[in-house]
Amino acid sequence: METVINNKSGRMGVAAYIVCTALLVCFALPGQPSFAASEQGPRKVDKLFGAEGNADEDERNQCLKCHGEKGSIKKFPDGDFISTYVDPQAFTSSVHRSLRCTACHKEFSLQHHPERSFRNKLQYRIKESHVCRDCHKEGTIKSVAVHESLFRKERAGEAVVCTNCHSAHAVTPAVGGNASTGEEKYCLRCHSRETKMDFNDKECISLRVNIAELRNSPHKNMGCSDCHFGFSQENHPQRRFRYEREYRISSAEMCRKCHFDKYSKVSESIHYNMLSTGRLDAPTCIDCHGGHAVSSLGDNRALAVMKCRKCHGEVYDTYAKSVHGKALLNANNKDVPICIDCHSSHSIKNPSSSAFHDYIPEMCGKCHSNPTLMGKYGLSTDVVKTYLSDFHGMTLGLQRKEASKGYRPDPPMAVCTDCHGTHEIAGVLGADVQVLKDKLLKRCQKCHSNATSNFPDAWLSHYKPSLRVAPLVFIAEQFYKIIMPLMVVGLLFQVLLQIWRYLANR
Amino acid sequence: MESGNLSAGEERFRKFSVYRIVEHLALIACFTVLAMTGLPQKFYSLGISQLIITSLGGIDSVRSIHHVAAAIFTVLALQHIITAFIGVVFLQWEPSMLIAVKDIHDALHNVKYCLGMAGRPAMSGRYNYKEKFVYWFILLGGVQMIATGFILWFPVIAANYLPGQFIPVSKVIHTNDAMLIFLLTAIWHIYDSIFNPEVFPLDKSIFTGMKKTTRT
Repeated sequence: METVINNKSGRMGVAAYIVCTALLVCFALPGQPSFAASEQGPRKVDKLFGAEGNADEDERNQCLKCHGEKGSIKKFPDGDFISTYVDPQAFTSSVHRSLRCTACHKEFSLQHHPERSFRNKLQYRIKESHVCRDCHKEGTIKSVAVHESLFRKERAGEAVVCTNCHSAHAVTPAVGGNASTGEEKYCLRCHSRETKMDFNDKECISLRVNIAELRNSPHKNMGCSDCHFGFSQENHPQRRFRYEREYRISSAEMCRKCHFDKYSKVSESIHYNMLSTGRLDAPTCIDCHGGHAVSSLGDNRALAVMKCRKCHGEVYDTYAKSVHGKALLNANNKDVPICIDCHSSHSIKNPSSSAFHDYIPEMCGKCHSNPTLMGKYGLSTDVVKTYLSDFHGMTLGLQRKEASKGYRPDPPMAVCTDCHGTHEIAGVLGADVQVLKDKLLKRCQKCHSNATSNFPDAWLSHYKPSLRVAPLVFIAEQFYKIIMPLMVVGLLFQVLLQIWRYLANR
Repeated sequence: MESGNLSAGEERFRKFSVYRIVEHLALIACFTVLAMTGLPQKFYSLGISQLIITSLGGIDSVRSIHHVAAAIFTVLALQHIITAFIGVVFLQWEPSMLIAVKDIHDALHNVKYCLGMAGRPAMSGRYNYKEKFVYWFILLGGVQMIATGFILWFPVIAANYLPGQFIPVSKVIHTNDAMLIFLLTAIWHIYDSIFNPEVFPLDKSIFTGMKKTTRT
């Protein structure tokens, strides 16, 4: 073995092979047919180690007499134990199939089987995995990024066990084997386990990927590196993040490659603005859409609300009690607005900004001026028209024209939500009129602080004047409807008559 | 006053005192400002209205200008009413603006004249029936505008003393009255003082105070 390794070209070959093995092989489950060795891999090892297989069979058979028995275990003083069973089939399919047992288990031979004692399972596994380093030297394997981080951990005093990822007897070849035919399978060999990522603040997160979630997601046909750019079967860059949020925010950047339209909308949003001012708790793509479990919300509007609820719990609680929220959550009504209908999903504006406030009538008007939709609930579509033609609506429309010049009226002109509330909007159909009036007075008093009980009657509650509702207004309107044309016609008649007389006299 | 321009049978008399000339000039100024800042609010959706509003600094400054002009207009109207009252009641001023039965006859007579059913137009005193009509229309309309305007300007105070519904009623009256006064002024008063062939290009009496009179 020494001779072969000292050979320069041979050593290069081993190094390359080991690098690939370390990169691509994660878990080789004993007996799993898909992990069968390729033609290329074992043949190379056979050549390197000069073994033909038959020479060591005696030793192997001897060991397997005991270790080929299922149920054989090694106990530790702490009561823990480890299986000493070796699956012969897995081993003969492994990349190490041409090695003797004693090539790795150096203290043992056909004649000598020392009794060893270990404090616990971990100590045993660390010790056993040290033997890997005899062939797979640090200098050759550390070029693989994942190993580099493991070496760093090791230097920091943390236990690193090769067989955690590479398995022991069932270790399979890195290149050419079935295990590595797909990128997904390659990645999942580590990432289907509870692998961890550490952060500078000592927090850590699981890097486990739930494959079932991924398969159910709209991204099921994409390769891992389509999103995780920079990562591949050849490259696994090492990244350090101070906090988990930093990592999550960085991960969200991968979405923009395909969803650039959404990304540019988000870049104008309050959430992005928060991020850019250092608010790491601001949500990113994955906080709302999930990572591997990204799902198309489809018709599930209630689910979309829950996404916002994660951060905006109080708003959700208020919304849930509102006429809209109750219809959505109790009756799964798809007509009622959910968060994103008013706030939009990506280009979410600051709701305290005048840019948002001043466009609320349009927001509500999207549904409340739709006759089909409102007809279903017996609601009038006049609400928007009556608002826009009244003092507040008309003023708002004109004030908005000045907004681009930086004009900000104080207080801002009343819009729908100033009277009806925002998330707590209650239905008015069938409600007690006096209660509504009292509530309305309170709303009026927000801007008109000295308003008294008569004042809310100045507003016709979205009704068009009629003899039943606001008769005085109705009569006044009708009076002018008659008098105006009469007067115009009378005056013109007078003028024309005089001109005609003047011309006739000439 | 160029007496040389007087032809035979014509003479001039002082129709308006300097006080009335100044009062009328102030009224023209007020009226123009009120119409310029009021009409765009009534027809706020028109492009021209929005252009005016924008060029005057936005709706809120348009309203402020409207309020200032309205305050001046109120003072003008009040002093006019008070002086007229004092003058007529205590100073033996001739109540020449009062509408008399003759004015109705004159109006009917003039219609007949225009239709060729009478030989000559009605002869009037100091103020003819048209002037009286315009005067009283603008005076009474103006008072109504002031009342409703103040309700709209101070709706909270108004609602302390009046039913809330008076506020939208005031709006209906204010906006329509404004339109009536504007039309009356634009169609009749402007016609009668400028485009009327008898006075064209301008009846200058309200600016000079002097008026030609024809005696037959």
